[in-house]
Amino acid sequence: MPPLLSVERLNKYFAGLAALKDVSFEVEEGQICGLIGPNGAGKTTLFSIIAGSVSPSSGMITYSGKDVTRWKSFQAVRAGVARTHQITRPFRSMTTRQNVEVGLHFGHGSAGGNRSGEVTEILEGVGLGRVADKPAASLCVGDQKRLELARTLAAKPKLLLCDEVCSGLTDTEMNEVLELLRRIRERGTTILYVEHNMRAIMSTCDQVIVLNFGQKLTEGPPLKIQNDPAVIEAYLGKTAAD
Amino acid sequence: MTAASVRMGRFLTYRVAGWGTLLIALGILPWFGISPNLTRLLFTSLVWIITSVAWNLLGGFAGQVSFGFAVFYGLGAYTAAMRISAGIPPLAAFAIAGLVAAIASVLIGLPTFRLRGPYFAIATIGVSEAMRVLMTNLSFTGGASGYRIAEPGPFRPLEHYYTALGFAAMAVVISALIHHSKFGLSLQAVREDQEAAADIGVNPLKAKLIVHLLAATLTGIAGGVYARYAAYIHPQGVFGFHTSVAILLMPIIGGAGTVAGPVIGGFVYGLVQEELVAAFPQFHLLLYGALLIVIILFEPQGVVGWLGKLRSFIERIWRKSAAASVG
Repeated sequence: MPPLLSVERLNKYFAGLAALKDVSFEVEEGQICGLIGPNGAGKTTLFSIIAGSVSPSSGMITYSGKDVTRWKSFQAVRAGVARTHQITRPFRSMTTRQNVEVGLHFGHGSAGGNRSGEVTEILEGVGLGRVADKPAASLCVGDQKRLELARTLAAKPKLLLCDEVCSGLTDTEMNEVLELLRRIRERGTTILYVEHNMRAIMSTCDQVIVLNFGQKLTEGPPLKIQNDPAVIEAYLGKTAAD
Repeated sequence: MTAASVRMGRFLTYRVAGWGTLLIALGILPWFGISPNLTRLLFTSLVWIITSVAWNLLGGFAGQVSFGFAVFYGLGAYTAAMRISAGIPPLAAFAIAGLVAAIASVLIGLPTFRLRGPYFAIATIGVSEAMRVLMTNLSFTGGASGYRIAEPGPFRPLEHYYTALGFAAMAVVISALIHHSKFGLSLQAVREDQEAAADIGVNPLKAKLIVHLLAATLTGIAGGVYARYAAYIHPQGVFGFHTSVAILLMPIIGGAGTVAGPVIGGFVYGLVQEELVAAFPQFHLLLYGALLIVIILFEPQGVVGWLGKLRSFIERIWRKSAAASVG
């Protein structure tokens, strides 16, 4: 079976500065694939390109066998690729429920069914039931992170791009979110997951890709990555690796 | 059905009843022999209301602040004027006026909607001024000296009044339908955060173009209705910058992003404009300036927001006194 997502020799230059250099990798259907790397490694840029909000300088992205390299973000969403944002971007003056409704009505496979029931189900699923009718601006950071995820889930992605959903959360909150990601995967959604928190990555991912200075350093199962001298060097510097 | 949806249904019924009452009141008002001056005042207010409701679709619901609605108003006015002079029935002329404005909205929207916030606003000022200069120098429309409509038959104020009332009602219905629709939800999302909306499947450019088109059509019709009434139009008037500003002021005064706000704003503006301008030729500008500052500082939701606060204040007192009488 061909991979769900395949990225081939992707390059992105910002005014001559290379943010991504020749990045290639594949994500199999049903995986939780982690994407790690030090600050400025190009993780978010890579995400934005796959999600269609930024177009690459060169290279090709194939999703479900289709060339989606230059798709706009709303086209990507409607085909089943949706992202969350590292810095949450709720529709502030709208209620939590309305935020989720947008994803439900305009996302992938948005037709028919009991819509209001579905919204409630999604909100309960991420633990936002109690603030459903509050304006999104009034939510605390943890809830805004959940809303970001809920809204994206409402768009019913087949490939979910999660950008640091755990940053700024307490350990308990983080475990809840990670549990949620596993449940999402069990329901058949493939996840590409950017995260700084190593424990989160190591405990959830099947496969990890490491980026450094815009290039792919290595990839493999979490345990292998954790002990890879090159990865340790990238994160901690040369002496620590020795 | 859940309790919430029953409440929602009752709420909607109240609203429909409220709008219906207003419409019937305005509809039967002329039967009580109102003065020609009041008819003129109400007619002007109704025309302003059409434009105000139209601007709110784009500016209030979708958050795209345009200073260029005089383009649609003026195009509608000139198109209807020239069609009526050519002997076409007024209603058909208004339809063509709306169509011309709609086409203009797409031509203007395609390039300017790539800009955001203040840059979009500035671009619309540019387009609007360019249009005014063009119309001032175009000879077949009469240029700077304007255009006079040649319509046979006597002048019937009530016919104008009911035309304006009909189109104003149509504008409010369109506005309410959009506000409570899936499309309205996407406009709100675009207003709040365009990229985030696109990231969950909304096509922002398409949403903006469609709502711009609807707004332009209504504004073009309003221009046409006004032109037929005035029987004489000129570029400094219908294409003037003050027309764009007036169209933008009304919904902001009344409450942008709501259904009722632009209607209230249109009435306030229409009455104030006609009464105050007659009494103090320059004073109204000062008043609008002051009003705008007060609204932006204290009540961004305009009159509608202020009424909402007033209502919750009264409800609090009511509950308190009810509790006191029980205890």
